[in-house]
Amino acid sequence: MSAIALRYDLKRHGHAPVAVAVPGGVTQRLRLPDAEAKARLVGAVLSTRCAADEELELFGEPVKGLPRAERARLHDRIGVLTQAMGLISNLNAWENISLPAAYHGTHPIARIAQTARDALQSLGTEPGVFLARLPDEMDPFERKLVAFLRLLAKEPALALIDGLGEGLNREQSARAARFEAEYRARQPEGTLVFVDLAEEEPR
Amino acid sequence: MIRALREVEGGLRLLMNVWLRVPALRRAPVRESFLRQVYFTGVTASTGVVLRASGLGALIIAFTMQVLDADTSLAVKILLWVVLREVGPLAAAMVVILRTGTAMSAELAMMRITGQTDALRRMGIESYDYLVVPRVMGVMIATAALTCYIQFLAVLGGMILAPFVIQASFTELYTRFFDLVAPIDFAYSIIKSLMFGFVIALTCCYHGLNPPALTQNGVPQAVTRAVTQSAVAVLTINALFAYLIFGVLFFGLVKAVV
Repeated sequence: MSAIALRYDLKRHGHAPVAVAVPGGVTQRLRLPDAEAKARLVGAVLSTRCAADEELELFGEPVKGLPRAERARLHDRIGVLTQAMGLISNLNAWENISLPAAYHGTHPIARIAQTARDALQSLGTEPGVFLARLPDEMDPFERKLVAFLRLLAKEPALALIDGLGEGLNREQSARAARFEAEYRARQPEGTLVFVDLAEEEPR
Repeated sequence: MIRALREVEGGLRLLMNVWLRVPALRRAPVRESFLRQVYFTGVTASTGVVLRASGLGALIIAFTMQVLDADTSLAVKILLWVVLREVGPLAAAMVVILRTGTAMSAELAMMRITGQTDALRRMGIESYDYLVVPRVMGVMIATAALTCYIQFLAVLGGMILAPFVIQASFTELYTRFFDLVAPIDFAYSIIKSLMFGFVIALTCCYHGLNPPALTQNGVPQAVTRAVTQSAVAVLTINALFAYLIFGVLFFGLVKAVV
């Protein structure tokens, strides 16, 4: 594995440049200066594409000009938990978690079920009831938990979590903070990146 | 005019995509979605049509024999023409448009508006494969099954119930029916109902995935367009089929020039 798992540069007219470099195998919290920079970083990693004013390198490979197949190969090693979460409303929690793996046939479903059950139990949630619920019946933390379990099911070498505590109350944020340990327990060599906005300077 | 052309072009592209992507049914989640669609469209709709279909058969026999003063042979012939060839497939298509078409177009429009179709794409899941193919194939099969069910109930119900309201014997009706029925009647109605299911699902998927606005207001508009266009498409196909196969339109009022 390359020493740098994620490198991202953004040069916008009239804004300070954004330069991010995350070494492989660590957990890092990125604080980006504004919402646009954050959205563009997340979007670039999510799509493994970058615009003219961006540079993105994943596992040491620049994605600009990379053929589609190569980008897809990189994409398979990445898991992104976005603000939108991307849950499918007519599928229950278990179907949402297992959908990508079942569709692509990439990971054994039994292993995903085991991972989901273990992670839920260690996060203090009863799997039997929880996995049968639809996203509309869940609170924001539970929806985030489903999206996180889907991320875990992918076993990504690089996991990027956008705004982990956003939209959650204090108690839910405390529970969400345990996601890091869950990821690390399953991917000891993996890279975990939390992306947030830099807090405004007090005037 | 431009919108209509764009819709026709979009519909044709969707049609090509569906046929090319049928092998996607081998994937477990797509197959599951297909079975769910068959269950929703066919199985859950079947309970609601039992009384109506049986009553329709009895009404046709009773009306023909009592009001038109026809004999058993003519009554059964009309039952065959009306129920097997026309009303059976049309009734099933209307049930499918009203129950499944509305639900499907609203569901897909909501998915599009709330970004769920984008989420699928980001997971590397093709919307055509996961959303369109199972719905189109499921609705086709369920419409054909529902048509058979309605025809069976209407014919059997008609034969059983008619003797209670008019002077007719079940045995006579039954014998005349099997004298007059031909395999083409079944083949014709099955092929037609498969076409109905195909066009309904395709129209509803197209409008669901392409709502006029990506806001909540786009949902009812998408449903309205899906339902009206599905109904028009079904009636057009029905007329074309009758003209092509039997050389008649509107129950024989218009005849093909041979």
